[in-house]
Amino acid sequence: MPSSLKYFLTRLLGSLITMLVGTIVVFLVMKAAPGDPALIVLGDYATDETVAEFNSKHGLDEPLVSQYLDWLGGLVQFDFGQSLSVSAGENIGDLLLYRLPNTLFVGIYAIVIAVSLSLVLGTLAALNRGTSVDTGATSLAVLGVSMPDFWFGYMLILGLSIGLGWFPSYGFTQPSESLAGAFYSGFLPALAIAAPMAAVFTRTLRTALIENLDREHVMVAKAMGHSGRFRFLHHVFRNSLIPYITVVGLQIRYLLGGVVIIERIFGINGVGSLMVEAAFARDFFVVQACAVVFLGIVLAVNYLVDLICAMLDPRRVR
Amino acid sequence: MKLKHFLHNRTALAGLTITTLFLLAVFFGPMLSKWSSNQHDFMNALQAPSWAHPFGTDSLGRDVITRVMEGARISLLISVSGVLAAMILGITAGLYSGFYGGWMDVIVMRVVDLLFAFPAFVLALFLMVALGYGVTNVALAIMLVYLPIFARITRNMTETVRNDAYVQAAQVMGQGTPRILFREILPNISAPILVQATIAVAFGIVIESGLSFIGLGVQPPTPSLGVIMADGQEYFRRSPWVLTLSGLSVTVALLGLNLLGDGLRDLSDPRLKVRE
Repeated sequence: MPSSLKYFLTRLLGSLITMLVGTIVVFLVMKAAPGDPALIVLGDYATDETVAEFNSKHGLDEPLVSQYLDWLGGLVQFDFGQSLSVSAGENIGDLLLYRLPNTLFVGIYAIVIAVSLSLVLGTLAALNRGTSVDTGATSLAVLGVSMPDFWFGYMLILGLSIGLGWFPSYGFTQPSESLAGAFYSGFLPALAIAAPMAAVFTRTLRTALIENLDREHVMVAKAMGHSGRFRFLHHVFRNSLIPYITVVGLQIRYLLGGVVIIERIFGINGVGSLMVEAAFARDFFVVQACAVVFLGIVLAVNYLVDLICAMLDPRRVR
Repeated sequence: MKLKHFLHNRTALAGLTITTLFLLAVFFGPMLSKWSSNQHDFMNALQAPSWAHPFGTDSLGRDVITRVMEGARISLLISVSGVLAAMILGITAGLYSGFYGGWMDVIVMRVVDLLFAFPAFVLALFLMVALGYGVTNVALAIMLVYLPIFARITRNMTETVRNDAYVQAAQVMGQGTPRILFREILPNISAPILVQATIAVAFGIVIESGLSFIGLGVQPPTPSLGVIMADGQEYFRRSPWVLTLSGLSVTVALLGLNLLGDGLRDLSDPRLKVRE
C-alpha cells in the first residue's frame, strides 16, 4: 500500500475510534446527569405505571449496554431518537437536518471573513516588521482576542444595527430561502464570531511569515535574482501555510463554541441554539445528539486539515 | 528570564500594568465605593453614567461599576481555580506520560485527544447540563477545557528533555521519580506552561461569562461578570451602557492578561524577537 494511503487510512481509523469513545462518554455522562427523562416529560406527579410505560416505550428500562448499542445503531443512520421536551415527540434527526445548514453557513461565513482579514493583516504586519503598520496590526489582533465574542456581537448591533440601521439586529434568513438574504442577515453574527479568530490567525501568519522570511532558501532565491513577489509567494508564503492551516483547524473548537452563543443572540435556528434550548428544557436526548454532532464536525475538520497539510508537505506522510 | 529583560519588554510591561490595576480595582474598589453591589434604589433605576455612578445604574438602581468590580472578583476566582485544577492534573499527567512513554502515554494522550475534539464551549455547556449550574461546576467545566492543553504541552516538553544530562545526573544520584519530575524537569519546562496559564485565565473568564450570559452558569443574585452582562442585555436597547461598559471592563482585563502572556512568550522564545 502506498505510504500516503496508509497514512490517510490510519488517521481515519484514529478519528473513528475517537468518535466512538466520544459517543460512549457522552452517553454515560448524560445517564449520570441528575433528573429522570420520564419525570421531565411527565411531570413530578407522574404515577409509577406511567413512568414504567414511558421507560419501556423509549427503551429506558433495558440494560445500559443495550441502550447504548441501540442509540449507536441509530446514530449511524442519523437517527437520534425523539425529542423529550424542547420539541416534544419530534424526530431529533429532522430537527438537526433543518438546523445544521444554518450553523454550517454561519460557521463557514465566519471562517471566510476571519481568513480574509488575517491574510491581509498578517502579511502587512510581517512585511513591515517593527513599523507602525506592524504595531497597528498586532494591537488590533490582541484586542480581537480580548473581546468576548458575544459582547462584540452586541457592540455590532449597537453600532451597525441600532445606530446606523444597516443590518437587522435579530433574525436570520435561511440560505435555502434566499442566499443573498442569508449573507446579509448573517453578516453581523459571522463577523462577531470571526473577530477573535481573525486575531489568532493574524498572529500565527505573521509569526510564520517572519520566521520564513529569514530562512536561507529565501536568501538563496534572492541571490538567484528572483523577484520579491515570486520569493514571497513561492518560498515564504507557501511554507507558512502549514502552521497557518493547522491553527485554522484548531480554532474550529472555538468557532463552534462561539456559534452556540451567537446563534442565540441573533436568533439563528442552528444546532448551537438548539443545544442551549435543550439544556434549558433538560432534553437529554437532544443535548447528547448536539454534542455528538459537534464532535463529528470537529473530527471531520481536523481530518481534513491533516489531509491538506500532508498534501502541502509530503514528508509528514512518511 | 531576568527582571531587566522583563522591564524592557513593552508588551509584558503593559500587560502587567493593566493586570495589576485591574486586580487592585477588583480587590479594593468595592471597599472604596459608596454603594454595595446589591443595594437597590428604585428611584434611580437605569441612570446613565454620571460622576456618582460612572457606569450608570441597572434596572434595580444598583451601581453598575461596584457590581462589575465584585463580579470580576467572582469571575476571576472561578477562572483561576478552574485553571489551577487543570494545571495540577494536566501537568502531573503530562510529566508522567512524557517521562515514561509506553501504554500510559497512549492512554493519557487518547483522553487528551478526546477532550480536544469537543468544542470548548460545547464541552462546558454539556457539563453544565450534566452537573447542574453554579459556581463550582463552572470552575469544573473550565478545568476540563484546559486539562488537555496543559497535559499536552507538559508531555511534549517532558519528552524533549527526559534524556538531558541533568535528568540523567539526577537518576544516577538515585533521586526518586516524583522528585526528578517535579524538582528537576518541571522548573526547566515551566516557561511555556506559565504563558499558557496566563492566557487560560483570560479565556476562563470568557467561558464563565459566556455560560452565565446565556443563563447556564453562575446564577443571580451572585454577581459574576456574565450575570451582570446578561442583566444588561435585557434592557440593552433602552440603556445600552450596562452591557457595553461591563463588557468593556472584561475586554480590558483580558487585554492585560493576553499582553502579559504575549510578553512572557516573547521573553522565553528568542526566535520571535525583532532583529535590531
